[in-house]
Amino acid sequence: MKMKKFIALGMAGMLSAATLVGCDNGNTGVVTPVDGEEVGGGEDVSGGEADGSGNLVTTTEYADDEIVDFTMFAAMPGSEINDGNDIQEIIAKKTGVRVKETWLTGQTAAEAVGSILASGDLPDFIDGGDGMKELYEADTLVAWDPYLEKYPNLKEMFSDYEWDMFRQDDGKIYWANVFNNTYGESKATGHNDEAFWIQVRVLEWAGYPEIKTMDEYFDLLEKYYAENKSFQDAEGNTINIIPYTILCDDWRYFCLENAPQFLDGYPNDGSVIVDPKTMKIVDYNTTPTAKVYFSKLNEEYNKGIVDKEFATQTYDEYIAKLSTGAVLGMVDQNWDFNYTITPIFATSGLADLGCEYVPLGLTVEGVTEQRWHTYGDTVNQSSGCAVTTSCEDPDRAFQFLNDILNQDIHDLRFWGVEGVDYLVDEDGMFYRTQEMRDKLNDTGYKASHVCNYSYMPQWLGTSKDGKNAMQPAEQASEFYAGLSEPLSNCFKAYNAGGYPDMIGSVEDDINATHPWFPMWSWSNELNNDTAGGVAWGKMGETKHKWLPKVVMASDFEKEWSSYMDAYNACKPEDFLNEAQEVLDGRMEAYEASK
Amino acid sequence: MAYEDQFVNSGAAGETEYNSQAEVNEAEATADAYVVENYAKEAYEHKSSLNDEQIKQLSKKRISKGELKRQSVLLIIGAIFVLYGILFYYLPLAGWIMAFQNFKLKTGLLHSKFVGFDKFKFMFEFDTFEYALETSGNIFSAFKTWINNVVFVRTIRNTIGMGALNLVTTFIMAIVFAILLNEVKNKLGKRLVQTISYLPHFLSWIIVCGIIHDSLSSTGIINDVLRFFHIVDDSYNFFAHPAWFWPIVAFSNVWKETGWNAIIYLAAITAIDPSLYEAAEIDGAGRWGKIRYITLPSISPTIVILLVMNIGFLLNAGFEVQYLLGNGLVQDVSQTIDIYVLNWGVGQTDYSLGTAAGIFKSVVAILLIVISNSVVKKLGQESLF
Repeated sequence: MKMKKFIALGMAGMLSAATLVGCDNGNTGVVTPVDGEEVGGGEDVSGGEADGSGNLVTTTEYADDEIVDFTMFAAMPGSEINDGNDIQEIIAKKTGVRVKETWLTGQTAAEAVGSILASGDLPDFIDGGDGMKELYEADTLVAWDPYLEKYPNLKEMFSDYEWDMFRQDDGKIYWANVFNNTYGESKATGHNDEAFWIQVRVLEWAGYPEIKTMDEYFDLLEKYYAENKSFQDAEGNTINIIPYTILCDDWRYFCLENAPQFLDGYPNDGSVIVDPKTMKIVDYNTTPTAKVYFSKLNEEYNKGIVDKEFATQTYDEYIAKLSTGAVLGMVDQNWDFNYTITPIFATSGLADLGCEYVPLGLTVEGVTEQRWHTYGDTVNQSSGCAVTTSCEDPDRAFQFLNDILNQDIHDLRFWGVEGVDYLVDEDGMFYRTQEMRDKLNDTGYKASHVCNYSYMPQWLGTSKDGKNAMQPAEQASEFYAGLSEPLSNCFKAYNAGGYPDMIGSVEDDINATHPWFPMWSWSNELNNDTAGGVAWGKMGETKHKWLPKVVMASDFEKEWSSYMDAYNACKPEDFLNEAQEVLDGRMEAYEASK
Repeated sequence: MAYEDQFVNSGAAGETEYNSQAEVNEAEATADAYVVENYAKEAYEHKSSLNDEQIKQLSKKRISKGELKRQSVLLIIGAIFVLYGILFYYLPLAGWIMAFQNFKLKTGLLHSKFVGFDKFKFMFEFDTFEYALETSGNIFSAFKTWINNVVFVRTIRNTIGMGALNLVTTFIMAIVFAILLNEVKNKLGKRLVQTISYLPHFLSWIIVCGIIHDSLSSTGIINDVLRFFHIVDDSYNFFAHPAWFWPIVAFSNVWKETGWNAIIYLAAITAIDPSLYEAAEIDGAGRWGKIRYITLPSISPTIVILLVMNIGFLLNAGFEVQYLLGNGLVQDVSQTIDIYVLNWGVGQTDYSLGTAAGIFKSVVAILLIVISNSVVKKLGQESLF
């Protein structure tokens, strides 16, 4: 007995010692140099610049005991940063606020918000995603209106018309969407939306052909796969190639479900197509294009081009497959995979083998214009960053949201610490060395050093210094310098300046041509209260089951007609009629505002 | 049999004895506390022929002031538990009112609109059933249409189906495992096997499901083995076929819980008097005979009690396993009531609907436990209540 106790104690001791050691390494190693000198440097430069352009400067330094700790929940999967993160501490000293962010784990946004509301345990800041309406209805949010007048950086985020879009039925603003907001001139080089993605090496192998239709796309995959069944990765492992996979895990089944709207040339309204000529709602689940699309997938599945396991893979398994470089192509949103995959490819050497993905803007035969890439800021008024009623000092919270838009803090968030994460050349342009880039691709370093506050107010576009990009990903020099060789060859071959050029969508500002856009900001908020909401829920359940079945069918026509029967039993017309009402309402409001 | 006879005899003897004593008691107006207490106890234990009123009188007398004082500590402890029960089991039931309202967080429990049984109607879609009955005239085919078309009814079928399958498999496996383990003569081996076998119980479902998902995937060990023996040419996708889902869930449960559930049976087996085995051996019973005639009958009270308790949990067929292993293709057989509550209650912020589904589940669970208990009682086995 004594012996056992002794061993148990010993084990416990060793474990705790191990954790302690772990912490030490994580923190002190990185903090010291930053705390020592770089903080001061960063402050001087940004302070000077900010003065020049007439902006608020963050000058006060808060002592440790004055710093307030807030919490934030974002209903999106993300990675938590370490306690005592370098840049988080610097921002805390400058603004007097430290925010602990937590993320969605294994639930959907609506479920997470539902359980937060049910428990009554609210964070200070929240971005509830699809669940914002519920948060508002539960009276858990603090209105922005009084603070908008007080804090100019916040007010500046949107025009009055755009702010009005955020107003709820009581006439007040409770949240602001932090994404897709361009300051000054746009510097966008990325495509953050949906596309048919394809590995660069496939295009290179075929001599960079023009791929415009789904048929051409699958032709190319077939040909490439016929000659390349497997490849050797950088470590010499043989990887079997999967030509095409489809993610349809839970809410991420949009990768399977919504391509028909794009193939017909419409933008991502998400839940329906809006015909701009007649201003009528069209259901993209039942269009001829939808049938063409699914029958093509079915054909490719039976040929063995589509991943046999696509219907049962989880998101994690999907990401695992992509990270080996095995998958040649798929439909997905950039944000759903590329933020994870790009750093992995960069460190594993797969980027140099041409495994990185480029987006293609495909259509069905006969459609010439497409809108896979959305030009112009889309204001998603359905969700955003909010302050909750359980925040004890809302004024401090709003002041913080205002402060982190100050250019110096904004630079800290996205560029990092000058001298450590980026350098400034004689023209005042920010740049990074390859060593810095590599370091910032390292997840461990990122967790201990970088603090984006990525779901709080932020800008895209041009920095207030008038030269640099607000976010490094949009800095032209950074974009090109960061490209792997196969990728930059590909861009050169297609004469493309960036990802949007690869897709080649119509370059109209979406706000000018599609004032109702996007319809998904409405359908994401649906619930059981209306017949349309119930229909929407049932349609989702039905499609979850039938779409994979249709793709895997041995007799497509028969399966498709069974699917259509099941689909029509959900009363999609209830949903479509409501959509039409909403569209009409939005157009009326738009006409009125002109 | 012998035991029962004995019981009946002693009972009969007891009855006559108490009858005479009761008469004496009636005659003596001032019976002392000890005797009264004894009567009540014996009356309770042996179902004496005292009528209800007599018992009532006897037990009434028990609570004297002195008695209260003597038992004050026990009373306080008892009161704490009663209070706990009221606070955490009965008061929350007030929330059930939600099921009959169109509950909105903004209006709260007190001001939300009452909608009667609307939420239940929404779940069950009785009109689908009625319509099917009218058109087909056959109650079975109507049931079939109902299950095929109404999500909630389907989740009930899945819950009960998977619950029953899990119950039967885990239950039988645990007993078989306990008996087999008991037959192992090597003490060290026995300990080792027992310890290892209950370790999976401490793994969380997310880990177990990860292991199951990996081993059944196209590159997993099961498919590797199947391919190696040329049973299949191309890997078989277990999770794409609805027919495989229930067995996979049952297997996961068996793998995770067998060792843990066997502990209680092992304990029951150790309590068996070794002389019984010796006697059986003298009578010529072999290993099999000893299991059949000594071990199984001796642990049968334990088996029955656990069975009744587990039937109460039948509707808790699970949430995690089905949620983690399920996908669109098998959703018709994978979704349980709990998943329905998550998707349609919490997910659509229709808490009323979630509560209604929860009430339905509780009511069915109570019914199941009462029915199974009375069946067991009828069969003359030990019962829960």
